Amino acid sequence: MAFLVRQTLVYAIPLMIVALAGVFAERSGIINLALEGMMIFGAFIGVVCMNVMVSLGWFDAVKASGNMWTMQLYLLLAMAVSALAGCIFSLLLAFAAINLKADQTIGGTALNMLAPAIVLFLVRIVAKQNNLLLASGDSATWFMIKKSMWGFDKSYKFGFLGDAFLNKVYLTTYFCILLFIVMSVILYKTRFGLRLRSCGENPQASASLGINVFRMRYAGVMISGSLAGLGGCVFAVTTANASANGDVAGFGFLALAVMIFGNWKPLPIAGGALLFGLFKCIAASYNTLDINGDGTYMLASIGLDSNFYRMLPYLITLIVLACTSKSSRAPKAEGIPYDPGKR
Amino acid sequence: MENQQTKNPEYVIEMIHITKEFPGIIANDDITLQLKKGEIHALLGENGAGKSTLMSVLFGLYQPEKGEIRKNGQVVKISSPNDATALNIGMVHQHFKLIDVFTVLDNIILGAEDTRAGFLSRKAAREKVKALSDRYGLKVDLDAKVEDITVGMQQRVEILKMLYRDNDILIFDEPTAVLTPQEIDELMQIMKNLAAEGKSILFISHKLNEIMEVSDRITVLRKGKYIGTVNTADTDKQALSNMMVGRPVQLVVEKEEAHPGEVVLDVEHFTVPSRLHHRNAVNDISFQVREGEIVCIAGIDGNGQTDFIYGLTGLEKVSGGRALICGQDVTHLSVKKRGKNLSHIPEDRHKHGLVLDFTLEQNMVLERFIEPEFQHGCFIRFNAIRAYTEKLIEQFDVRSGQGPVTRVRAMSGGNQQKAIVARELDRDKKLIIAVQPTRGLDVGAIENIHRMLVEQRDAGKAVLLVSLELEEVMSLSDRILVMYEGEIVGELNPKETNVQELGLYMTGAKRQNRQEGSDHHE
Amino acid sequence: MIIMNKEPFFQRDGVRTLMASLISILIGMLSGVIVIVIVGLTNDSISTGGIWDGIRMVFLGVFNKGRDAATGALTFGFNPAFMGNMLFRAMPLILTGLSVAVAYKTGLFNIGAPGQYLAGTCATLFLALSIPTSSIPAWMVWLIAFLGGMLAGALWGCIPGLLKSLLNINEVIACIMTNWLAACLVTWFFDMSSLKNVLEGTKTGYIYKTSTVIHDVIVDGVRTVAGANVPEGATVLATRGGVATSRMGLDTVFRGSQVNGGIVIAILLAVLFYIIMEKTTLGYQLKACGSNRYAAKYAGIQDRRNIVLSMAMAGAMAGTAGSLYALSGNTEFFWTTYQSLPAVGFTGIAVALLAVNNPIGVIFSGIFMSYLNINGQQLTNLTAYNEYITDVIIAVIVYLSAFSLIIKTWLGRKAKKRKAAGVSADRKGEVRG
Repeated sequence: MAFLVRQTLVYAIPLMIVALAGVFAERSGIINLALEGMMIFGAFIGVVCMNVMVSLGWFDAVKASGNMWTMQLYLLLAMAVSALAGCIFSLLLAFAAINLKADQTIGGTALNMLAPAIVLFLVRIVAKQNNLLLASGDSATWFMIKKSMWGFDKSYKFGFLGDAFLNKVYLTTYFCILLFIVMSVILYKTRFGLRLRSCGENPQASASLGINVFRMRYAGVMISGSLAGLGGCVFAVTTANASANGDVAGFGFLALAVMIFGNWKPLPIAGGALLFGLFKCIAASYNTLDINGDGTYMLASIGLDSNFYRMLPYLITLIVLACTSKSSRAPKAEGIPYDPGKR
Repeated sequence: MENQQTKNPEYVIEMIHITKEFPGIIANDDITLQLKKGEIHALLGENGAGKSTLMSVLFGLYQPEKGEIRKNGQVVKISSPNDATALNIGMVHQHFKLIDVFTVLDNIILGAEDTRAGFLSRKAAREKVKALSDRYGLKVDLDAKVEDITVGMQQRVEILKMLYRDNDILIFDEPTAVLTPQEIDELMQIMKNLAAEGKSILFISHKLNEIMEVSDRITVLRKGKYIGTVNTADTDKQALSNMMVGRPVQLVVEKEEAHPGEVVLDVEHFTVPSRLHHRNAVNDISFQVREGEIVCIAGIDGNGQTDFIYGLTGLEKVSGGRALICGQDVTHLSVKKRGKNLSHIPEDRHKHGLVLDFTLEQNMVLERFIEPEFQHGCFIRFNAIRAYTEKLIEQFDVRSGQGPVTRVRAMSGGNQQKAIVARELDRDKKLIIAVQPTRGLDVGAIENIHRMLVEQRDAGKAVLLVSLELEEVMSLSDRILVMYEGEIVGELNPKETNVQELGLYMTGAKRQNRQEGSDHHE
Repeated sequence: MIIMNKEPFFQRDGVRTLMASLISILIGMLSGVIVIVIVGLTNDSISTGGIWDGIRMVFLGVFNKGRDAATGALTFGFNPAFMGNMLFRAMPLILTGLSVAVAYKTGLFNIGAPGQYLAGTCATLFLALSIPTSSIPAWMVWLIAFLGGMLAGALWGCIPGLLKSLLNINEVIACIMTNWLAACLVTWFFDMSSLKNVLEGTKTGYIYKTSTVIHDVIVDGVRTVAGANVPEGATVLATRGGVATSRMGLDTVFRGSQVNGGIVIAILLAVLFYIIMEKTTLGYQLKACGSNRYAAKYAGIQDRRNIVLSMAMAGAMAGTAGSLYALSGNTEFFWTTYQSLPAVGFTGIAVALLAVNNPIGVIFSGIFMSYLNINGQQLTNLTAYNEYITDVIIAVIVYLSAFSLIIKTWLGRKAKKRKAAGVSADRKGEVRG
């Protein structure tokens, strides 16, 4: 059970933060279909950043000192670099959509093609294979927060809560939850957030009140890119074993679905992300999942094919979208280029 | 002389010799406008006279090619709405600039937010707005979402937005177009209050009654040119009207007595659900239209006329009752099957009437491309379409850059409408539904379309007209049905009624009980 | 009334559209070159000569004849195998491009081509390998498998179409989800099927090629499968497989390549779609729905039916792409697809956009993308670079096509400016418009 909670969070967190990334772009009026591409790019830069740290000998120094908490600092640094990379990458979308009034769906699709292409091209040249890994072994566990780091030995019984939330967890989870809350508050409680949201609904009105729609939309897309890039890094560390291969397993698109499912609002998005995380978790590990702790693998014993569980997240998405399509309400001006001449 | 005038501190805002060009058109040609402190100054002109452009220049949305703007005698440069706001100029736009999903309070503070430690301080803003709304009698519900409140309240929100920013020059761009007569009265009172408190008001309108009632002085524009400025007390409606259109307005449509024949359209207990709320948009209405008459549905916008026409033409589902056209029950037929006896000039020519990215000839056969005349074994007969389009262009005087192959998007609004009217009238159907067929057109085009509709009537067609313009209703129709909140509240003969009575019906102040066989008491 | 049928050549709409596409290609290729140069300069293992080789390969990979054995220098010339393979690979690209283009004309963004492609592949492989050629002639099995693939694609395309028309769910999201659903379902289907290639023991995870001859035999009372060589003493129950698209003599022109009649079918379908879209009432209806759904509804055109129809047609084309690729008989299908989607479906978007959704244009842009594809392959084989640079180029082209309209307008304005400057100098007001 603790495993289920932990693992669900691992899948849910990138979905949640990337869905919020989508919210910032779309609430400013720009459809961001490129979440997937931005994640891929962020993941790649994050892994490159960690590789650089390894080559600088930082990791070895940590191992020697034995203070694994320092690793968490490096992780945060990698996340920051990823966010920056995502932000820069998103400028391509912003430029096309805002300055050139391009078709945002096509622009986003282009970025979704560009990111894996560039990443794979570079990875192949650097790593001579299609996957950029950290230098040694099970690298991702370096970043894991374990019992031992809290000063307990292995035999110590943590209890359910401790097992679920303190052992074998990632700092990224808590950092992202905090970030999610902070960004949501910014969206709803600050002047910036109010103005950003107005640009996604009625940019002509915003402009008439002296709000610079271009700047707001740039801000929306860049924040979106940063969050998506960061989400990509989180994905790479927590689910892809700190590797980059130009793929984030469709998480960007799932995040898009979560965003629509959550009606472009943070709280339902958090709920939706948890739901999807749960299904993703079940799909990945249904046959070793001991839900009530009685030693039997309940889902495996039902005898459904693994392919069925793999399909579940997508199937559920479609069903949920079908059920909520009536009440779903996208920002009114999303996808429409802002033209100051038109009133 | 002008210099003496412009130095006069009596004027809070002066726009001197403003010229603003757009590609192919001079929207403002050397226009001068001077606004005194505390006055209500009306800006009068037809659609396209350049009123809105001039106000947009003042509000910083457009930059003029020539001329200057002065505030209290000082030359100022207004290059964005921010500059205008800094000069305490505020504007209520014709189409409200409101965010539908925001609350009233958020809409008022947007763009002029006070913050504490980075966070919005809504509490202080609420106090300030409350004080303002009490002072000027502007009742609003601060926590309601804009999409849930009435148009009248939305307008009060717009006014509060200006007051919240301490604006003292207030521009109202056609503020009464969407209001009920009661709301218009309220607005007039509010404007007088504001002027009495020392605010200066620019009031754009083409409705003479309102202008005569509320304004102190009037500036008239015509086709982008300055015609003159007069004191309201020294003029009358006829004189203003002459200044506005440059010739006496012909309010009467020349037509013979109607000779109604067989029933063409028979509507019984027709009910259409609303897409916006749980009530019915159209509730249990019944009436008939006969051949050789023009029946007009009058009413204020949003009282179910649009929904009724959607239901009648098959664009929306009907939840009760039925409609017969030429004796055939069409209530649940497809749009295509209804087209057998019905042609429809739609309310929104860009949304329903035309495919803007198609050429003129493609649009001319929008409903008819499937007819044998225009296709053979699923292959389009391009020559037939070209010839047909050229015929219609000739017959209805539709003007466009490249004839049949012009992209409709590139045509003027008037010619787009003419194209639709040509297409629909040439289909030669028994019932013609015309929804606001003259909206946004100039006087000449309006006369033209009115004449054509009368011709159709005289040719034995049944014409169902939906109009918001009282003049059109009174002059064109043979019978008037007034719609209010989804019901027909009165049937009037235009010869025996007047605009005042019509207004009472349209606002729900008066109603007939049209239920047959029952006594009618209010 | 002015009728301006005789516009100057460079101002004609079609010419400007073509120019805009060519400019997109040029900028895309230049971006590729820039990346190659930058990577080459910053990477110690790549020499200046290596950079030059890379650049040449991006443009001329199809024409390369390998490295000279003595000097190690690249040699160029007509290479029939690469040319043939270019046409072979253009076939599915043209078809997925058509798929995206047809939907786009109806105002739908069909990002679901990969899923429809998989559906087509799956149905075709199943039909081609299950129907016994011992009882039905091979050409008929081919036809059934071909049509089956087309139908499967069409049905798969219908799903987002129905969701869009009935529930107004954004087709982009629905397509993305159905893509992954198809990927999982196809994996599941072949997981359970008996079509896994067990005869060629060296490969795992592949389905039989349709050209493989499979004999269902009973050997010593045990039912099993055998390849072309039936073991002695076995009873043959049925023969399956051995189905492949006719080569139509193209293999003699392009010796050593995989090309077959599929490319001819693809081109014919493109022409067919051009006729449907431009000359028939069906095309008129679809375009009316795409341009203005409300006006179409007003005019009595059934917009919902047309949305589904358009997606079905789009799906059929993507399905055909998968079908013909599988039926070539020498391609192998790796059936554990649930982790990744076939790239050819996404490249179809680029093909359609580059062709500005013109079915005839799709033929050329499909061949162009395939040309890039071969160049990329040669880049990987013969230089320090790899094929992903061509994906970068394609992505840049798609990016540019997002605002191709602006490039087009800019071209028109430039032409007008030149003309205005030539004729008279005093009409500067026009240029601004």
